[in-house]
Amino acid sequence: MTTPDTNVSIAGISMRTPLIAASGTFGYGTEYEEVSDYSAIGGIAVKGLYLEPREGCAPPRIWETPSGMLNAIGLQEVGIERFIAEKMPPLRDKGVAILVNICGSSLSEYAELARILDDVEGVSAIELNISCPNVHEGGILFGCDPVMAARVTAAVREQTRLPIIPKLSPNVTDIAVVAREVEAAGADALSLINTIPAMAIDVETRRPRLANVVGGLSGPAIRPIAVRLVYQTAQAVDIPLIGIGGIASHEDALEFLLAGASAVQIGTMSFVDPLVFRKTLDGLEDYCRRHDVHAVSELTGAMLAS
Amino acid sequence: MRRDVRATLVERRSLSPDASLMLFHHAELTGSVVPGQFTMVRVPGQGLLLRRPYSFCDMDTGSGRFSLLVKEVGSGTRALTRLPIGSEVDCLGPLGTSFAMPAPGRRAVIVAGGVGIAPFVAFCRRLQQAGHVATVLLGGRSSHDLYLRESFESFGMDVRCTTEDGSFGHEGRVTAILDESLDGDAELYSCGPQPMLLAVAERARTHSIPHQVSIERRMGCGMGCCLGCVVYTTEYVRACSEGPVFDADSIRWERDPHPL
Repeated sequence: MTTPDTNVSIAGISMRTPLIAASGTFGYGTEYEEVSDYSAIGGIAVKGLYLEPREGCAPPRIWETPSGMLNAIGLQEVGIERFIAEKMPPLRDKGVAILVNICGSSLSEYAELARILDDVEGVSAIELNISCPNVHEGGILFGCDPVMAARVTAAVREQTRLPIIPKLSPNVTDIAVVAREVEAAGADALSLINTIPAMAIDVETRRPRLANVVGGLSGPAIRPIAVRLVYQTAQAVDIPLIGIGGIASHEDALEFLLAGASAVQIGTMSFVDPLVFRKTLDGLEDYCRRHDVHAVSELTGAMLAS
Repeated sequence: MRRDVRATLVERRSLSPDASLMLFHHAELTGSVVPGQFTMVRVPGQGLLLRRPYSFCDMDTGSGRFSLLVKEVGSGTRALTRLPIGSEVDCLGPLGTSFAMPAPGRRAVIVAGGVGIAPFVAFCRRLQQAGHVATVLLGGRSSHDLYLRESFESFGMDVRCTTEDGSFGHEGRVTAILDESLDGDAELYSCGPQPMLLAVAERARTHSIPHQVSIERRMGCGMGCCLGCVVYTTEYVRACSEGPVFDADSIRWERDPHPL
């Protein structure tokens, strides 16, 4: 059998594979060049950006939990200006889609970031961070309220022709409501889920493990929750979904695709294994051969009834 | 060049009831390390996720072996310590910055507490090769914690020990014997618990002595991406990339009172 077709197209963004490096786990896209295999990567979602640089949270910022990672980094980032001048140029020739993740403390900041990015060569899409649990301005405050999520999406829509991908929080009563609102407001695709708000305490010192007290949980520990949310969202909207949450292997990626995702993001596991993209892609191709699937895109939403 | 290699565990030497020297074989990785650098080790085990950062303790390019000093403090370190000989372990490295040699005519004074001695074994080997005799101040709670003292002595270093319980060497903290070891020619190097590093840094600043410090932090990736391991200088910088060896004078310790 010929090599399965791994190309996917989401909201007009063509990617050579359905595997995207998740925002906040792959820096500005070049840090892993020596040890990762970029030919297996379809897209890179860069570290979240505000207009201005941000200092981030005090340390400790990370803590490991069973099969999971708690983090409260607080979006330490370089600001949009430095990103465009220094970080964007080396990314352009990597052959990957570039999803620029943006965050604002106000509607106008999101809009201004979108306006600036609209003119930047090489940007494939804007990923709207309305779900970071670790910042006091913006982030999850916008994503937990369907009306605010829609207003952010609409404000960005007015400023750019680029595809807009709101990144959804799991920390909502009904993710389908948020998904439908941002779809109606002009979102072209959705990525989900961001980390789950969580915390841990050192009982010996009685201090929280994170200086920020509460952080976001990622890694395989959250995967079944993420698969469920992708499945429910797929029932609610017509726009394509990018599944995220603890993907460590091709089987994990397949669960998200079958639940309704058109592509997936890998985050925490690239810390553990820089070759996770290559191994996952090889596994997907092998799966397609064994199951007589000609294109990975055929698997989206292909879960059978119970 | 950084790479992710599969190193073979070839030997484990027990150094104390809870610490081991683990020797791995990988010729290319061993040959590319500069003293002070570290590796991210993937620890197999149910529920364990992130790699653990370890300073390279020593490298023997002849045999292609490098060693790591592992103290059991939790489930990850316990799993690593109990790996069977012959196990293949993913090691990402070499990572981070390294120790600069003392300036010509100056003498290295090394202050190490507990597992903080790890990066100094290879560094002292290099100092010996360059004809230096460093003063090495080792501190621990008891004689059990004075790991690899014989290695430093075998390199011809001037080794002085302190234990908090007086079971070996001078009774007290390692910083108590610091002043008598300092003179106009000294350049300080330190690694260990943060209170010790603070005390050494204060002494270095008072006497205007250059001071390089190796910082231990929890790390997510070791590659500069997760921003989990930061230290404050004029902004938050990454211990994995701008460190782990820093000019101690650049660090604002008060911004990071409970680092681990």
